[in-house]
Amino acid sequence: MSFLNPLLLLGAFGIGLPILAHMLNRFEVRHTDWAAMQFLNRSVRVRSRQLKLRDVILLLLRCLALLLIVFAITRPATTKKAGPLAGLGEKHVGMVIAIDASFSMQHDDGTRTRFDDALEKVQAIKEGIRPGDPVTLVLLGAEHRVVARNVAFDPDEFDEMLDALEPTDESLDIESLPQRLKDLAADMKAPQKEIYIVTDMQAQDWKPRSAWLRDSFKALAKHASVFVVPLEGGSENLAVTGFELMSGVLRKGTSARYRATVRNCGATVAQQVRVAGRVNNIIADTKVIPSIAPGASESVSLFLPFRDAGPVRLVAELSEDPLAADNVRRAVAVIRDKVSVLCVEGSSKGGGSSGGLIAAALRARGNGQGQEDLEVHSVAWVDLPGQDLAKFDVVVLADVPDITTEHAAALDKYVREGNGLIWFGGDNVKADVWNERSALGGTPLLPAVIEEQMRTSDAMGIGRPLDPSMTDHPVCRSLLSLPEDLLSETRFRLLLRVTPSTTGMAVLTLAGSDSPVLLEQTLGRGHVFMFTTTAGAAWNNMAVTPVFPMLLQQMVTYLTAREFETSRTVGDSLSLSYVEQPDASDAVFDTPAGETLTVPVRDYRNQYVALLDGACEAGFYLARVSVQAAGLPVAVNVDTRESTVKRLSSDEVLALLKGAGVNIVRSREGLLAVAEEARTSRSLWRIFMMAGLVFLVLEGLFAEWLTGRGARAKGNAN
Amino acid sequence: MPDHITQINYLDPELLQKLGDLELVAREVVEGLRVGSHRSPLRGFSTEFAHHRQYVPGDAIRDIDWRVYGRTDRYYTKLYEAETNFDCHVLIDASASMSYGSGKVNKLEYAKFLAASMAYLVLKQRDSVGLSIFDSEVRTYMPPRSAMGIIVEIDKQLRDIVPTPKTTVAKQLHDIALMMKRRSFVILISDLLADVDDIMAGLDHLRFDGHNVVVLHTLDPYELEFPFKGTWRFEGLEREEPLTTQPERIRDDYVANLTEYLSALRAGCVGANIDYKTVDVSRPVDGVLNEFFAERATTLTGGAVGARL
Repeated sequence: MSFLNPLLLLGAFGIGLPILAHMLNRFEVRHTDWAAMQFLNRSVRVRSRQLKLRDVILLLLRCLALLLIVFAITRPATTKKAGPLAGLGEKHVGMVIAIDASFSMQHDDGTRTRFDDALEKVQAIKEGIRPGDPVTLVLLGAEHRVVARNVAFDPDEFDEMLDALEPTDESLDIESLPQRLKDLAADMKAPQKEIYIVTDMQAQDWKPRSAWLRDSFKALAKHASVFVVPLEGGSENLAVTGFELMSGVLRKGTSARYRATVRNCGATVAQQVRVAGRVNNIIADTKVIPSIAPGASESVSLFLPFRDAGPVRLVAELSEDPLAADNVRRAVAVIRDKVSVLCVEGSSKGGGSSGGLIAAALRARGNGQGQEDLEVHSVAWVDLPGQDLAKFDVVVLADVPDITTEHAAALDKYVREGNGLIWFGGDNVKADVWNERSALGGTPLLPAVIEEQMRTSDAMGIGRPLDPSMTDHPVCRSLLSLPEDLLSETRFRLLLRVTPSTTGMAVLTLAGSDSPVLLEQTLGRGHVFMFTTTAGAAWNNMAVTPVFPMLLQQMVTYLTAREFETSRTVGDSLSLSYVEQPDASDAVFDTPAGETLTVPVRDYRNQYVALLDGACEAGFYLARVSVQAAGLPVAVNVDTRESTVKRLSSDEVLALLKGAGVNIVRSREGLLAVAEEARTSRSLWRIFMMAGLVFLVLEGLFAEWLTGRGARAKGNAN
Repeated sequence: MPDHITQINYLDPELLQKLGDLELVAREVVEGLRVGSHRSPLRGFSTEFAHHRQYVPGDAIRDIDWRVYGRTDRYYTKLYEAETNFDCHVLIDASASMSYGSGKVNKLEYAKFLAASMAYLVLKQRDSVGLSIFDSEVRTYMPPRSAMGIIVEIDKQLRDIVPTPKTTVAKQLHDIALMMKRRSFVILISDLLADVDDIMAGLDHLRFDGHNVVVLHTLDPYELEFPFKGTWRFEGLEREEPLTTQPERIRDDYVANLTEYLSALRAGCVGANIDYKTVDVSRPVDGVLNEFFAERATTLTGGAVGARL
């Protein structure tokens, strides 16, 4: 026999109270000499003994009643093996029903989705629930959402709850699942607890963690009977796993090349996979991938034209397949009319100066024509104080010797407002001054501390090339398309030795060493790029190779992008940063489903940020600084790790859960039968409570009867 | 109202016990009675008829001999020899049961007050008074005398009483009846905790010998009311089997037994022309005596004249 509230068993000591009172009454005997003993004759003595017996009987009844009521409150339960009481109790069961609602459950085999199948299984489970039994219903995803917690079962309400359930766009966080289920079961007061996990048991989730899962379920089975209900379904699925800008400038009237990557998550070769690129929901380009092998990924380039300025919604979309949620990949681009670059030149040399090289590189087009939508304004560094930075999107500082404190602060503010800064080294740079004045703010303006010049050329005076194994930084992507011999033509003879700050990150390094050539750091809503070499030909030959214009144009495109152009994944937080304290205290996020969420603006480390925790839908969110303001679209995509929808086979399921004490049930009939078999505990509290109350009533009636009897005897005597 | 009435509280048994001197107690009690009644409370106790005399105004109507009037058509009053001298014998039960007292005065002490008061009263009327003390046997037998000095001896005898566990009232009454040579006025002071038939047998013996018997049945208020609460163990003073019980729950049975016993005793006394009085020992002695004499006067003038010889 077990008890739901074992601590309340201490209440059984309460029966000591009437016994104690009885014993105290018995032991607190006063003595007296007595003359008239003849009146305490035999009949009185018999009567006295009767009273003692009566007292003992009443005491026993009272104690028994109290004991039974205490037992009832402790909510005892027993099993069939526990004895004759077992047949009397009620089969009360507390149930935790966990339904996998990750987006793989949207997989449709042509007749219905896995989620529909899951709901049908839950309907079968429902048949075994008694009205009033505690039920917890939880949807499993990246965050397990409790739909109903410990509610008394009502068939109609339960059906309403099931009707309202829908699969999410999230992936399944299986690692937190056992503990979450254990907590939910522990929260439940029932003589026996059952946990049902209705899931498609994706091989990629369950198989790699089989040993850990077995142990976790074994531990979970100690707290409740665990039933795993695996769902059926095919494994065919194609998913767009990537969609990113490869090259091109995001300006009005131009086109950019985006790369869409499609993975075949199924077990058969996918033929003629059609990929469409949409700009603001209009198909702009379509490509067909002839075939994709099982488990393989193929990429296609989509050329997307930008006819208007402003934010545009970009989509790479597959034709229909069994799982629609991962057929779409979204991105956002903010298209500009024109980009203005201020090039500040520190070198006093003329024509072949770095400023001129930078301007030429930025304006260069593949067709040899200059870019009309790009304006480069070059000034000498001494003229910097007279420039209005607000007119420019990007500032390039090339070999600028030093900087005043005021200008360092102005540049810091300029970047934090969402603009870009590109910094080049050179012979004129005064490292100490830059180190000191760029670090006056909380976060240094530059991503690294400048040390001394470092020669990287060999004895022949030939510099080192760039490391071809580059990071997947947007700036580097275009370089990846260059032939290796062309990339290796760029040689660096001299660099500034630098120590990256905590916020700085190396983007390009020299081959054969860790010496960074290009570093980046985020500052506020903007970014800073720092070259440890010169823009001109003094320390390298970069300016005369294709690397230079490609890098600069990608950098300017990247720097002029907005933070929401980066795609997010379902479950990520969406943040909206403010340069200054906003007038409105709340930001507004419109969800893809059309719901409007209001999020308070909070002060994080002197930055004002509105943070939306956990975007739970895939699609385009719209972030607005206030209800009236124009919105910026934010692309949120599903986590395509969930796209491999292949399930564990029956043998694999058995092998994985072998010895874990978990019941695996597939059919509706099996579900009912196994649950009935496992449901051995019976609640006895009602029996004990009834018995306790009966004994209380009996005690009262007995006492009343005895009192009445005494009164009748007295009446007769009178 | 006489002044002494306001001092009646001085006759509270507890106060009398503090006085210690039984003679003083008796005097206090009796003087109070005399002053209060202006006549002897023992008037009419006489037993020996002497002769008739012509009625004169002032004589009590009840003393007119109506049979003589019937024969002679003249009023004559009866004169009794005892009016000039009669023997009063006070019998005190000194058994252990008499030592019970729920208050500060037990039944025996109270009996002593009563005995002393009665003796004093008798002597004040220049009659003779004697004393017998008995328990399981007759411990003291003092033949009646009229000398005032006997009160001192009575006082001494009363003081020297040591209660003994067992009493046999009936047997002792038989023995005392045999000791008494003259018909006397017998006052029995006892709690009479024995079989009613045995008691009546003894009392009948006295009545059979021609004694005028008065029974002052002393009982403690706790014995009358049985007001105990809680759990009590009753230890018999005369070596009865003890009883542990909750008295308030058996009180009805106890009171029923007591009532039955008292009814039987009272009925027996009435049947044997014995004056019977239940005395609650918590009451003032003079009040009890006053009440007793008032009741007796009523009885003597009423239909219960049969109690007189």
